[in-house]
Amino acid sequence: MTKNGSIYWNPVMETMPREKLRELQVKKFRRIFTWAYENSPFYRKLYRDAGMEPGDIKTYEDIKKVPRTDKGMLRDVQSRPPFPYGDMLAVPLRQVTEFRQTSGTTGTPVYQADTWQDWEWWAECWAYILYAQGYRDTDRMFIPFGYNIFVAFWACHYGAEKLGCEVVPGGVLDTEARIMKMQELKCNSFGATPTYVLGMADTARKIGIDPRSIGIQRITCAGEPGASIPTTKKRIEDAWGAKVYDHIGATEIGAWSYSCTFQKGLHVNEAFFLVEIADIDTGEIIDTPGKNGKMVITALDRMAKPCIRFDSKDVIRWADYECDCGRTFRSIDGGIVGRTDDITKVKGVLLAPTAIEEVVRSITELGNEYEVVVSKKGDIDEILLKIEIMPGLEKKEPDILKRLKDQLRVKTNLGYKMEIHPYESLPRYALKAKRFKDLREH
Amino acid sequence: MTTGYNIQKMDAKIKEIRKAAEELQELGGDIEAVNKNLVRLLASTKMLELNISDAISLV
Repeated sequence: MTKNGSIYWNPVMETMPREKLRELQVKKFRRIFTWAYENSPFYRKLYRDAGMEPGDIKTYEDIKKVPRTDKGMLRDVQSRPPFPYGDMLAVPLRQVTEFRQTSGTTGTPVYQADTWQDWEWWAECWAYILYAQGYRDTDRMFIPFGYNIFVAFWACHYGAEKLGCEVVPGGVLDTEARIMKMQELKCNSFGATPTYVLGMADTARKIGIDPRSIGIQRITCAGEPGASIPTTKKRIEDAWGAKVYDHIGATEIGAWSYSCTFQKGLHVNEAFFLVEIADIDTGEIIDTPGKNGKMVITALDRMAKPCIRFDSKDVIRWADYECDCGRTFRSIDGGIVGRTDDITKVKGVLLAPTAIEEVVRSITELGNEYEVVVSKKGDIDEILLKIEIMPGLEKKEPDILKRLKDQLRVKTNLGYKMEIHPYESLPRYALKAKRFKDLREH
Repeated sequence: MTTGYNIQKMDAKIKEIRKAAEELQELGGDIEAVNKNLVRLLASTKMLELNISDAISLV
């Protein structure tokens, strides 16, 4: 345990007055900008073309003039040397100790290089997350993750070790074996995607183990927005009898946001990241709480492949409330509420897949899985929602469908065709779920 | 919340660690067992700098 039982991993940063935090961010932005300008051919060209150099960054307002980057650029650089990362790399290749890649959900995977210092930094970011979620050196944490080319829970593992947790790697074990190992070792916590956490609970029941009996106290979710969708979070908490915490991160960014034990919004680690929210239409930076915009993020200390003013396409909004934990880090409300590339217009109405999930998961008679298929019949868009009804409740189908349709209408302003599938017949996912399919030609 | 912490003194000690590690790097020459372990030590030192030294002029 810590000497003083502090709830903060680092009170110096986490309780710094906001105006000082802003000062810190400007100072660190200038440092990473200078580093990238001097060491990365890609960034040097980007900034020279924009007529900018390190001396130009003096205030927060100056940062807004710095050109943004996006995933398309990260993909483009990979065609240039050094293989396989391209000329965004800001260190000699021999200093790279870590390879990871993005999942490729939105296109060609991006290859990510990290030095050992960057890897320490990843673990440090996770240490902030896990400590805020109540993990301590008395915890035994299970990681049911197929350690592979995706960063996913790799950094969680190292972050938990940094805290002094006893970490049990779930590796190549199948779901049943993982559950039995968690039970045998009396693990009190674990981390996985919300989809997998729910799937594990189903599997546990199938092999005769009540997930609530295992003794799990806290679960850290990542990879999908589920743990910030109240109805999904409730399902997970009910299934495991545990507190569920969210975390947001990305391979090319880092682990930048987390809920704390107060479970009120997600804090942005503003000591290590600068998060800006840009108006979706005008691109202007918005500071007002409650207004959705797309995230532009800078990892202030990532060196090998710097991430500076990266337009992640994630839609977020500042919270209009303060968390009671005392952290001065600003919070976002509702996690990632969508992505600019998956919020799509159907029948002229903007549809965010997370809104459908919120409704489906609010109806307890429905299984955890669902699938949405958008297609075009002639000139008319059609949305097909595939669902499963919990075993033994088939007779209630008309009532369930009515409630589902009504709530979807209220939440999304759209009508749906429904398709009921046998329980457990829809695809299950271990990592990121792909439940939304748009078959229309764009 | 930062009351009770002597950031200046902590920063001074962190600087000593970095200096000692860099001096050891010089002394280690081509001994890889020294050099590669120092890469790790310096990475940890950097985390102390990010957590403490970066705040030096702000608290």
